Amino acid sequence: MTREEIAKVLKPIADGLFGKQRRPSYEKPHYEIRGLNDMLRDLTAIAPDDWWPYAFSRDPVNGKLTDGQRVQLMYKSVQCGYAYADKIADEYGTDDPVQIAKKMGMVVTYPEFPERTDRVLFAEFKPANQIRIYMDAVNKAKDLLRDRTTAEILTDNLDVSKLLLSHELFHYIEEKYKDTIFTRTEKIRLWELGPLHNDSVLLADSEAAAMAFAQRLNHLSYFPYVLDVFMVYGYSMEEASGLYEEMMTLLGRGYEKGDKT
Amino acid sequence: MQYVIGVILLLTFFGLAYYCIKGHNLMIGFLVITIIWTVLPLLGTLFVGGDFLDANEVLKFGASHPLSDGTTRKLVDILNGIYQSAPEGWGTTLVNVCWGAWFGRVLMDTGIASTLIRKTVELGGDKPIITVTLLNIVTAIIFTSMTGAGPVIAIGVIVLPIMMSLGVPKAIALFSFMGSVAAGIYLNPVNFAQYRAFFIEPSQMPDFTLGWYARHWGYAALVIMLVVTTILTAVYLKKNKASHAWAAQTRGPQASQKDAPLYTLILPIVPVALNIAFNFSVIGGFVIAGFAALFLCGRMKGTFKENCQLVNKLYYDGVVDTAPLVGFLLTLPMFNSVAKYASPYFKVILGGVMPKNELVVCIVFAVLLGLGLFRGPMTLVGCGAATLGVLQNVASFSVPFLYGVFAIPTITVNIGSCITQSWVAWGLAYTKVESKDFLKLSIPNAYITGIIQYAAVYLLLGGLGAQWFI
Repeated sequence: MTREEIAKVLKPIADGLFGKQRRPSYEKPHYEIRGLNDMLRDLTAIAPDDWWPYAFSRDPVNGKLTDGQRVQLMYKSVQCGYAYADKIADEYGTDDPVQIAKKMGMVVTYPEFPERTDRVLFAEFKPANQIRIYMDAVNKAKDLLRDRTTAEILTDNLDVSKLLLSHELFHYIEEKYKDTIFTRTEKIRLWELGPLHNDSVLLADSEAAAMAFAQRLNHLSYFPYVLDVFMVYGYSMEEASGLYEEMMTLLGRGYEKGDKT
Repeated sequence: MQYVIGVILLLTFFGLAYYCIKGHNLMIGFLVITIIWTVLPLLGTLFVGGDFLDANEVLKFGASHPLSDGTTRKLVDILNGIYQSAPEGWGTTLVNVCWGAWFGRVLMDTGIASTLIRKTVELGGDKPIITVTLLNIVTAIIFTSMTGAGPVIAIGVIVLPIMMSLGVPKAIALFSFMGSVAAGIYLNPVNFAQYRAFFIEPSQMPDFTLGWYARHWGYAALVIMLVVTTILTAVYLKKNKASHAWAAQTRGPQASQKDAPLYTLILPIVPVALNIAFNFSVIGGFVIAGFAALFLCGRMKGTFKENCQLVNKLYYDGVVDTAPLVGFLLTLPMFNSVAKYASPYFKVILGGVMPKNELVVCIVFAVLLGLGLFRGPMTLVGCGAATLGVLQNVASFSVPFLYGVFAIPTITVNIGSCITQSWVAWGLAYTKVESKDFLKLSIPNAYITGIIQYAAVYLLLGGLGAQWFI
């Protein structure tokens, strides 16, 4: 018997004795994989204000709102984002987010940081002036944009890195104008008990306004929530298809089945 | 000769510690050490002096070594005691584990657990520390009745994304959640029954119930861990300000689950409350609260056959959740049983150095808390079972006191703070937090919480009367 053969015979026994404890996992839902371009065509056709069901579905206090409030808040948030995009572009004399970030004194870094969790992180703003654009997500998006049809749907104006930077710049602007900006002054009352009460701003307002700000600064014809599906597709086609289905369901739109482009 | 055997046994103990720390299979590890600890002490009786045997009657067997009352014990009786009676005795503990796992699945399936989390978050709003505090409290409450990797994962996939969406850095979110889970386990009847069985037979000391334990130390242990975890989270958050992130949150398994009715949110604490207040059967509590949850949440609207299938499936899923633990749990009693045959030899080597005073035990264990990490020699769900065997046999301590002494490294350190805990390992993979980043947060928590809990053990469980000794 050769050494390899002995090792082969002993391996199952050694694995049994010294095998590591298995890490538990959970069964994730499975989705039919969809063609990216078909999903992008559907999503880019959605008007900014119509994204409210998706925007608020990610807000931890969503359950405290009525649909009427959500529609109103979405409209005001989008208008807030547009208004600040115009204001900042005027103030700094440019709509290039890289230039604006520089003039604002932001420290922008571009770490690789591969993200393969259920929550795919694209970019992050950390007070007081730190912005991180995660290049793993950006590079995956760039690879997808090599497809001519994809690039056409998302238009030449899309520079993923700049779009992410614009979004995070808005969060800095929120800090700067926190006493007057809509996304910080608009609050809902979560509970009250005599003189005690807890009022909260809405994360969905802030995110929707940041999306509108980024859309206006980057001259995009579609609302940047589209990028959620587009960028997740670089990590997992199935997860992106699931996210698209969730969006279309939330937004009350039908989607075709059996599309495997 | 007893010194030589004692040294060899001590070496095998360190070998087991190394094996556990390396993350190898615990069930096999304990089975192998049980065999070694059976062979060495019993074979050793052929070589040790008569005085040693007379002083340690537990080692006497065979016609040539009658017991002091004149009777004799057969070798096969000793072996049957280790390999048959001991694991059989744990059957009563195991049924609690299975029913607890079923109840956990019911709370997940009916949406009660997820609704509880969502409603809690709606009270906290955009202020991370308020929301995290509320989430920690609710998580601890939930895990007084749920246990196992399945329920922790099911709640984790709801809680962790919420914390991260509030800008809480992922390492802090994970640390805070895992600490709260461990806090809840201090009052979990299933875990209590499991750990109690390390110290005494299920039928022994009937007064040492969950209610007695909770009133004398359990509530304090839970509150200490919850408060310290939350305060540390606030301190960490102060240093690491909340961030705003653009992230795509894909759908988890419970995303489409509807809210459970508000009045059903009380059900998770029903089994524990019934047990503590009335010493009511734990399994009875699980059955009552479980079926109430299924009926009140509209999960029993199918035909009789469909309802039976649902209950059966939840039981199946729950038992699968606990399956990896069952093999380990049924091997441990063999080890616990064999430890008494090894203890005379340990006494020879360690008798002089092992602490015999309650205050000294608390101080030594508090200093050595770190050895509860990586399945080390302090945790009962690692090779701490061996340490217990040694300590229990070289000195005399009350059962509740020893329970508290070993519960801290087991729950606070191993379950709440260690990366070898199955659900912590899952959390690290889920959030992509580096092990060292998690440990940097969890080890200070383990020490601060542990030291305060040891002070509580000494004050609340020290100096108990004779009825608490075996």
